Amino acid sequence: MKVTIENKEALWLLRLADTSLIMGQRMAEMCSNGPFLEEDIALSNVSLDLFGRAEELYKIVAKLDGDKFTPDEYVFHRNEREFYNIKLAEQPNEDFAWVIARQFLHDVYAKEAFSQLESSKNSDLAALATKVLKEIEYNLSHCKDWMYRLGLGTEESNHRLQEAVDHLLKYTSEIFNWDELDKANYPDCEKIESTWNNEVNRVLAEVNIKRKEVPELTMRDFRDGFHSEHIGHLLSIMQYLPRAYPDAKWS
Amino acid sequence: MEAGDKVWEVFVQKKSGLPFKHVGSVHAYDKKMAIQNARDLYTRRSEGRALWVVPTEAIVSVPLDKADAFFDPSDDKAYRHATFYDIPEGVKHL
Repeated sequence: MKVTIENKEALWLLRLADTSLIMGQRMAEMCSNGPFLEEDIALSNVSLDLFGRAEELYKIVAKLDGDKFTPDEYVFHRNEREFYNIKLAEQPNEDFAWVIARQFLHDVYAKEAFSQLESSKNSDLAALATKVLKEIEYNLSHCKDWMYRLGLGTEESNHRLQEAVDHLLKYTSEIFNWDELDKANYPDCEKIESTWNNEVNRVLAEVNIKRKEVPELTMRDFRDGFHSEHIGHLLSIMQYLPRAYPDAKWS
Repeated sequence: MEAGDKVWEVFVQKKSGLPFKHVGSVHAYDKKMAIQNARDLYTRRSEGRALWVVPTEAIVSVPLDKADAFFDPSDDKAYRHATFYDIPEGVKHL
């Protein structure tokens, strides 16, 4: 099966859908690996929210592109270069600080992005944005809370959070390299970047984490299907079953 | 969890006006974490619209071995039970 997408808006929306999906898959890896039972369940809930969001977005993608493929087909039958998630989303769960920092950096961006999409001309997307914002609000407050606990906790927790942030910030600047599709679909791209910078700078300063100068990565843009080395491993696990057993069905 | 955490009892109110009902407990280090954990464990499926968490240690309870002394209804003392009234016609919910 070769999954293809022609509609421009569908192609653009795939960026948000894929970002939610890959964030969700990374968070799902935390299920049974959380630091304690309650947090394990909380992280799994975040993952479920992200998967649910991705599925709804794939449905809109499918509708825009003539319903040629199902959400499952978008998820399980595309290869690395056909995914358009931001590279931040695929960064691994090196330790708990990475999980929290990744979610925080993503949620601050997602909050402003979906706020703007509430006024989308696409009524499906506008309605979904309103629904999704409530989830983002909660997930953001959860991971922001941990940013404070880790940043202002012990020397060790601060150190680990600093390492996570240092790594993850290498992958955030590409989010704001807006192209024509972004500009056609977001009312105010620049505001997404300025809102993100203000909030990230504010929280990092409050939690005693430095925002260091990050040397420009030579990797190409996620909008062209380029990734860090981590996506292949993630997809091989996520896609294994339906590819090995194409006839498998939920019973 | 490690040292420093507490157990909190969780109460959920299904809708405004109804009593809060005990649903279980969570571990957490402080109030804020307790209410977040309670939300994630007990309210994800429309169980309610309001939530209380109370440190278990703040709840005063009757020791099990004193239960008889506390709760024995003394059924032989019939005058404790308000059963000597004629219920007027039309009263439905007594």
